[in-house]
Amino acid sequence: MIGSASVVMFLLFVAATLAISYWAARRTRSSQVFYTAGGKITGLQNGTAIAGDYMSAASFLGITGLIFLGGFDGLIFAIGAFAGWPIMVFLLAERVRNLGSYTFTDVVSMRLEQSKTRSVAILSTVVVVILYLIAQMVGAGKLIQLLFGLPYEAAVITISVLVLAYVTFGGMLAATWVQIIKAVLLISGVTILAFLVLWNFDFNLENLLSSAVQEHEEGTAVLAPGVLFQDPVQVLTIMVSMMFGTLGLPHILMRLFTVPDMHEAKKSALYASAFIGYFYLVLIVIGFGAISLLSGDSAYYDEAGRMIGGNNMTAIHLTSAVGGGLLTGFMSAVAFATILAVVAGLTVAVTAAISHDLYAEVLCKGKPNPVQELRLARITTVVVGIIAVLLGILFQNENVAFIATMPMVVSASVNFPILFLSLFWPGLTTRGAVCAALTGLISSVALIVIGPQVWVSVLGFEKAIFPYDYPALFTLPLALIVAWWMSRTDTSDRAAEDRANYGRLLATSELGKEV
Amino acid sequence: MDSEKALQIRQKIRQRFLFSGMTLVLYFAFALNWTDLGSGLREPLGDSSITGSLLFFVLLIVVFIGFEILFIRYSTRRSSRDSFRQA
Repeated sequence: MIGSASVVMFLLFVAATLAISYWAARRTRSSQVFYTAGGKITGLQNGTAIAGDYMSAASFLGITGLIFLGGFDGLIFAIGAFAGWPIMVFLLAERVRNLGSYTFTDVVSMRLEQSKTRSVAILSTVVVVILYLIAQMVGAGKLIQLLFGLPYEAAVITISVLVLAYVTFGGMLAATWVQIIKAVLLISGVTILAFLVLWNFDFNLENLLSSAVQEHEEGTAVLAPGVLFQDPVQVLTIMVSMMFGTLGLPHILMRLFTVPDMHEAKKSALYASAFIGYFYLVLIVIGFGAISLLSGDSAYYDEAGRMIGGNNMTAIHLTSAVGGGLLTGFMSAVAFATILAVVAGLTVAVTAAISHDLYAEVLCKGKPNPVQELRLARITTVVVGIIAVLLGILFQNENVAFIATMPMVVSASVNFPILFLSLFWPGLTTRGAVCAALTGLISSVALIVIGPQVWVSVLGFEKAIFPYDYPALFTLPLALIVAWWMSRTDTSDRAAEDRANYGRLLATSELGKEV
Repeated sequence: MDSEKALQIRQKIRQRFLFSGMTLVLYFAFALNWTDLGSGLREPLGDSSITGSLLFFVLLIVVFIGFEILFIRYSTRRSSRDSFRQA
């Protein structure tokens, strides 16, 4: 589909990021540098990298496609994905940075019994990251197949090999700079695209929206809620899953440890929030611009009247419509860079869960051989890369929508409750945390399986047993109730110790490690 | 922990929950767009095509970023005041 421009752009990006990996590899001499880039990233750099890690291809291509399809309703995913960031600044950034070393599991297990709490946190980290990884790999394989004409398997292997080159040698330092470059490219790309769209409407938003109303079959309804979603409970399920899911994503929380102190951690979250907020605001222009400029243009539809490549290609078609081949090449390369950056972040997170949380902290009881730990981190990265390729190929014919749903729901139902309660509720005990995590995990997976995404779309039943795609509205409160009940009724010696530890944790988390 | 530090911590926690509470209320108010209670939001504003819902979306993002800036400014000012007092 794409010509030589995109190939040149893509090769330039790959060359630049590989050069960065080579530079980072020379500095990655310890596991601390591997996991957290030595804690020397500034707030602005980290905020940009977080934005690069968080703004996935699903955000750019998926939300644009949804706005094209259903207008305003597509924005529910944008506000859901954005709204976790203020809460990250207010509640989590400072405290998580002050308490942890490398992963969110460090924070959760700090005042509870290490081995049990770490084990469930590792399990949820691996589940969330692997599901996120499958969604990225399958989506990426299909996107690259379409954009560059590569066979699906070759696309998946290319992504994995590049990410392995970044992470195995350069660790978090290389991943950080890949994410920074990607964020700058993506923000620049959407800004140029929005500028060109507005150009077509004399830089008048009113003209753009009026044109969208005229072109869309739903007319004025496209600018208000109700085209895709009518049930407010369904909307709430999406809002809860997106917001609290963001707050429990291990690869995002891990980025808070790459800055020197709590002030930089807060600033990181603020910068990330500003970039992400800007990105979603610009998507309004891009989404409604796509309705105005692509609707009814036969160049972008097949003979059956469907958009070529599906609705997720809306943003790329729009780029082609307003920017020609060069900009399309640039945006295609950006889409590829987006996937690489997100997969790199996920790979570092799952590697840290295995080599730091499991090997160093659980198996070696916090006293690992540093050389062996770093070697294990690199070996784990390679294994994760191979697993990502295999899962990407295995799931290539599956409906990826449900795979993309699961990590946010599991994160909101497992990681967020135990992280929040361990930081803010003195009464939480090890038993409460473990039971809450397992309840959140089992209930969220079970409700997704009997919900529309799996029960109807994958298993082929006529009607879903559970009516909602995103069950976190129910499973998050359930996990909180289980944590409360199991902690309140816990009269063990360990429970008394867990409660007594809270005072020390509170002072350290609020005032820093010097306390 | 001395009472000075305990007071600092209590103030910080109060501030955290105040900002989080305001954010959560505004965020979940967005769901009103899909209810009868929020039917007015679905209407265009005056002669323009921009609906109340669309404006709500934009304002939420702007207001949330504003909250974050306020929170960080307030925390930084309080941290320097506390350090000065301790010195």
